[in-house]
Amino acid sequence: MPEMRYVDAIRTALDQAMQTDPSVVLLGEDLTVGGPFGVTRGLAERYGEWRVRNTPISEGTVVGLAVGAALAGLRPVVEIMFVDFLTLAMDQLVNHAAKLHYMSGGQLRVPLTIRAQYGAVGGFGAHHSQSLEAWLVHVPGLKVVAPATPADAKGLLEAAIGDDNPVIFLEHRGLYFGRGEVPDGIEVPIGRAAIRRQGDDVTIVAIGRLVGSALEAAAALAADGIEAQVIDPRSLLPLDLPAIVESVRRTGRLVVVHEAVEMGGMGGEIAASVQAQAHDVLRAPIVRVGAPFAPVPAAPELEQAFVPSVERIAAAVRRVTGRPTVATH
Amino acid sequence: MLPDLPAERLVAQLQTMLRIRRFEEELIRLADDHAVGHFHVYIGQEVTGVPALALLEDGDVAYTTHRNHGHLIARGADPARLMAEILGKATGTNRGKGGTLHLASAEHGFPTTSASVGGPLPIAVGSAFAFKELGRDRVSVCLFGDGALEEGAWHEAVNIAAYRSLPVIFLCENNSLEALGQKANEYPSSTLAVRRLTDLVRPFSVPAVAIDGSDAAAVHGQMKKAVRRARRGGGPSFIETWTVRWPGSRPIWPALVTGETDVAYAWDEGRMPDEHRDWFGTQDGLLRFLRELLEAGHVDRAWVQAIDGEARSEMASAVRYALDSPYPVPEEALEDVFA
Amino acid sequence: MAVTRQPAELVSLLERMWLIRAFEEKVSELYARGRIRGLLHLGIGQEGVAVGAIDRLAPDDLVFAGHRAHAHALAKGADPAKLLAELAGRTTGYCAGRGGSMHISAPDVGFMTATGVVAGNIPLALGAAYASVVGNRSLVAAAFFGDGAGQTGGFHESLNIASLWGLPLVLVCENNGYAEFTPLSAHTKIERLTEYAKVYGIPALTVDGNDVLAVGQAVGEGVDRARRGEGPTFVEALTYRLRGHYEGDPAKYRELAELSDWKARDPIARFAAVVADSGAFGEDGANDGVAEQQARARVDTAADEALAGPLPEPADITRYVYAD
Repeated sequence: MPEMRYVDAIRTALDQAMQTDPSVVLLGEDLTVGGPFGVTRGLAERYGEWRVRNTPISEGTVVGLAVGAALAGLRPVVEIMFVDFLTLAMDQLVNHAAKLHYMSGGQLRVPLTIRAQYGAVGGFGAHHSQSLEAWLVHVPGLKVVAPATPADAKGLLEAAIGDDNPVIFLEHRGLYFGRGEVPDGIEVPIGRAAIRRQGDDVTIVAIGRLVGSALEAAAALAADGIEAQVIDPRSLLPLDLPAIVESVRRTGRLVVVHEAVEMGGMGGEIAASVQAQAHDVLRAPIVRVGAPFAPVPAAPELEQAFVPSVERIAAAVRRVTGRPTVATH
Repeated sequence: MLPDLPAERLVAQLQTMLRIRRFEEELIRLADDHAVGHFHVYIGQEVTGVPALALLEDGDVAYTTHRNHGHLIARGADPARLMAEILGKATGTNRGKGGTLHLASAEHGFPTTSASVGGPLPIAVGSAFAFKELGRDRVSVCLFGDGALEEGAWHEAVNIAAYRSLPVIFLCENNSLEALGQKANEYPSSTLAVRRLTDLVRPFSVPAVAIDGSDAAAVHGQMKKAVRRARRGGGPSFIETWTVRWPGSRPIWPALVTGETDVAYAWDEGRMPDEHRDWFGTQDGLLRFLRELLEAGHVDRAWVQAIDGEARSEMASAVRYALDSPYPVPEEALEDVFA
Repeated sequence: MAVTRQPAELVSLLERMWLIRAFEEKVSELYARGRIRGLLHLGIGQEGVAVGAIDRLAPDDLVFAGHRAHAHALAKGADPAKLLAELAGRTTGYCAGRGGSMHISAPDVGFMTATGVVAGNIPLALGAAYASVVGNRSLVAAAFFGDGAGQTGGFHESLNIASLWGLPLVLVCENNGYAEFTPLSAHTKIERLTEYAKVYGIPALTVDGNDVLAVGQAVGEGVDRARRGEGPTFVEALTYRLRGHYEGDPAKYRELAELSDWKARDPIARFAAVVADSGAFGEDGANDGVAEQQARARVDTAADEALAGPLPEPADITRYVYAD
């Protein structure tokens, strides 16, 4: 089974999609030279500069153009260099892409994919580090996915491109150069969570790069006899709520972890939805572990304090299980 | 050509240019071993920013974008505190919260750096709007690159500045004469469908000029006109400066591709590395400025070596200060979210 | 090159203009009687642009309009009954009652969508033009917008990209001198949006928007250029809206003299005279007035049909959020 980096998995998915379907096109800045992270390297040579199209720095119009192209029969994949700059395209994304199918009473389809790199890594500061998925899941008509492994990146990108709705594909740059197995022909449907670790004592739902941190925390907790089930939702909208609820019915405890600011984040949405269905089995309040209510600071120490750590995750689990740290050394 | 200024002012500008050069060289070396985030250096463009910003007074403001270190130093910000900020230390200008991309020093008339291309344009126009409403004869300058002109924000900003006749100066440092990812496509830049960037300003009747950014006299002269126009209520101006991008700024992360600048290159061509003869010989505006000062007799070699030595030592101290400074404590992360 | 029109063509153009006028007046009447609700922007007085321009497009060409879009939808061939049903919020409307006046969509006749965001439709038209190039089709896209769009950043970005990529696109600006309640001159120093187009090297023409043939001439040139692969064209049509910005707007911000001045230049009255001169109405002018009658009759029937349609079920509210 081939093993590859997350960025390579993305490139492979794009390449295969473009090969099988001539209506798939890529739009974004510096794509013909691979972009800042090399994701699209080599694709322009293979598919030409109309299908791999460099755009000026005009996010609003580029997203709008992609919507119009989708309406006219293409399947565009737009690359937004940093999700922070998706803010420049919010009108076209929210008012147009998300709503045209509905407003037209089903006549129009917008088979658009927007790939946006995100995350607080490397001390890039407040304009290059945000996690904005909470804004996006709030928009009826959009779909939002955040794969945490190369295999899911490949599978979900294919699914996104094949979906006739606008899909935002969020890529954490801290995951870009991680490696993982990517089975040939892997399929990952939108809306299906993945169980990363089995356990009966607590359910941890983690998003994006923090899936790895949650697993690390789970390993540490296991040493103290706490077995966590770690769920990677993979899709944020639609969310696989049944999978989470089923898990909580068994464990009775839930901790939700994300790098986005805790206030107004996905954690609140998941917590509210789960308690509405499963409050009778909850043995402890649902706890969210998110970033503090601040812009992402640049200083490495502060950035580190901003992103939820393995320790914070483990501490949250200990709170809900009522088992404080046992000092063994 | 040298600006029409007294010798001691020209010499002071040379000093500032050298200080910026040495700051950026130290930073590139520092970045090898320390996390500084993604940064951009002003090497090669000092001869634009220094004479231009020297014309601003107290109470004037300037906004800039990611290539900002030189701009802040030019207006008097403390390099030690800038370096500390770039390293994310608590003693930095932004207390470690901003980093290189958001350096700010309100006391030096630099309220903020924005890292989204085109981001500072509306804000600079806003300050100009306030100055006009409050009846102050202050000026707002927006410093940006050619890329910013692709953003819709540029169009909206210049429209408002023009029809309200606001005291704002748009200073566009075009260093993309042959840049990364672009190819010649009938237009000078393949991302803007205009023959000259100044064409974009024409419909708004905003006075616009394009000049050689390494010609200090041209920079000084045009900026002086623009500042005077703004202060007298004559509205906005647009100045495009052409500059050849320093080879070390071509890769995604800056690198000392040409090696350190030796001030002696200004008078001893033999010392120049062959493969960078074009850069040091004709393209580096700082050396051009220096050569002109030497020729005019305003400085001599010994003196130049001396002030260069001071600049190097100042910037070496800045690095030490930055390295020795503490990081902010995590509890500080939430301070300053709100006023 | 001037296009010669046969008398039958002239009559057809007049009929289309009358259809729009009759439709808009009916909508206005129904709105006043509370049979149609919402926020409506009528194009009474601007029929020359929509009809003249869209007459030059092929059935497969795609149109994207702004918030004042009934005329463009009808000119492209939308069914007045389905359109009116949509304005009246019926499930039999084009958009099953979800879109309303500002979000009409009739893709089966190539009227892709209207939009409530000023200039929001321009990038969409660019995208359709881009798709035409990628798919090696000879399809042309047209975007209709008002003078207010010229101040937006998206307008600038769109002109740039359209020119840079040489897209098969016609940009039609209906300059009626007002962006909502404010005269153009209060928003900007530039009163002719062609100035922007010229900056980006886009051929730009200014025409009398109330002369349906002149509009057709200019837009036709643009369509031909686009089909030949020569890139975009910008047409600025000077016109005037005889009503307020929206239905219900008392429009106190403009001079009555200005209004009566433009009324005298009503595009339909002017063109009726042209048609009469061509002899298309018959020797004794017997057919003059037929176009109006027929239009009103057609619209009356459409209104009856539309208002008889069913209202949507609240339980259905989330239908069409996603495509299956």
